[in-house]
Amino acid sequence: MTPRWIATGLSQDLPKAVAMAGHWQGQDLAVWRSATGRVQAWNDRCPHRGMRLSHGFVRGETLACIYHGWVYGADGVCKHIPAHPALTPPATIRVAAFACVEQDGVIWVAPADTVGAPVALRGLQPLRSISLTCDVAAVLAVEPALSGGDALRGLVQIGGQACEVCLLVQHNAAGLTLHALCAVGVDRIAASRWVEDLRRRAERKGAA
Amino acid sequence: MIAPEVLNEWYPVAMAAHIRAGQRRVTQLLGQPITVALQGGAIVVTGQGGALHVTEAFGHVWACPGTPAHPLFPIPEALETGRRLVDVGVVRVKCSPLRAVENFLDIAHFPFVHTDVLGAEPHTEVNRYEVQIREDSDEVWATKVTFYQPQAAKSAEGGIVTQYMYRVPAPTAAVLYKTCPVRPDAWDVIGIFVQPLSEDLCDVWPWMALYDDTTPQADLIAFQQMIFLQDRSILENQIPRLLPLDPGMEIPTQADLTSIAYRRWLKKRGLTYGAQMVAA
Ligand code: FES
Ligand SMILES: [Fe+2]
Repeated sequence: MTPRWIATGLSQDLPKAVAMAGHWQGQDLAVWRSATGRVQAWNDRCPHRGMRLSHGFVRGETLACIYHGWVYGADGVCKHIPAHPALTPPATIRVAAFACVEQDGVIWVAPADTVGAPVALRGLQPLRSISLTCDVAAVLAVEPALSGGDALRGLVQIGGQACEVCLLVQHNAAGLTLHALCAVGVDRIAASRWVEDLRRRAERKGAA
Repeated sequence: MIAPEVLNEWYPVAMAAHIRAGQRRVTQLLGQPITVALQGGAIVVTGQGGALHVTEAFGHVWACPGTPAHPLFPIPEALETGRRLVDVGVVRVKCSPLRAVENFLDIAHFPFVHTDVLGAEPHTEVNRYEVQIREDSDEVWATKVTFYQPQAAKSAEGGIVTQYMYRVPAPTAAVLYKTCPVRPDAWDVIGIFVQPLSEDLCDVWPWMALYDDTTPQADLIAFQQMIFLQDRSILENQIPRLLPLDPGMEIPTQADLTSIAYRRWLKKRGLTYGAQMVAA
């Protein structure tokens, strides 16, 4: 079954007043953090002329499109059209919003009507996101200690010690992105190297 | 199957000077491989089905893969003495050729895409202008367009209100006339000639005919290239890559009158190569 909540990034990689590209099951999203820190995920397409909103710019609690500067407020409703400063845009001009929550240092997205929360990841700290050009099977093949489908978990050897890791899987056209978390207290540099090494091994396996 | 209306139009395929200098250009037109080369002193464009109709104008080679519905459009200003013709080279863009033309007709993006050059906040307002499809020439025209610009041209010093006229004489070509900073009584003429490689890939040739005797050629080219590369960062990130011709997919405003007329004109004439007809 397809999970509703998909991890699309780590909180640490999205600073205040920044927009980035995300996606949910092939649906491109603009994920952005307002000046006060609120994260939202919207359809990555401006209703005006189709420009990707993930290229836009954040001002305060609004996201503006980079093409003609149309400004969208917290609910995705267009608030301002710079070419017509005196006009109040009709409320029908709005960007479809996805459900978006930040939990355990992970940014999760789901369709707007989703009920319930993403799975809790107790005792884990966010590490890094990494893109791979192979599939999940290749990852599991080179690291048998891991198991799972959309969250790969297990005790792996990092720096000679068994450490708990969790890799949240996000599929994309080129392969997948893994959002890695590891047990609190684990050396982050060593864990980060382990993730890179895992990518190398999995991609070699995937290409074979 | 490509519609005859599309095949019977003229498209830019090469710089004439490059071909005359002995270069061959192996390229594509409407998804088909073509070669542009010099044969016995004449420029010849060859496709899979043989030679295409060819004409030379504005420093470019133009080809028609069908039976030309009409001669290539004129740009009378190109022949005026005192103008410098500047070709800027070619820019490959991953978008519909029609999106490239539409972006060229758009002024509302100046403050956001060409910030502090062709526009700047808070001067974002687009005043009402006039748009018509001229019956005699069957061209889209926008007139009485004005916009505040911090640095309208390489030769401009400081901000001015620039006047524009826009003209679409062919499905993948557009020409604009704008206030000339050094000669208030004359217009600078800038064009883009777009070669449709396929429905969502094009080669764009910016072209200029300016009254500017002082700015070095390299600076003029660099200026226009900078502008166009800024546009490319937009064009390659519009969804969908094809130009939607059916209303409903995108939301235009009064500032988009030229684009609205261009889309209608394309649809009416059946020039739908690079267009998306049904909302996806
Ligand atoms: S495409 Fe977004 S403001 Fe025009
Ligand atoms: Fe532009």
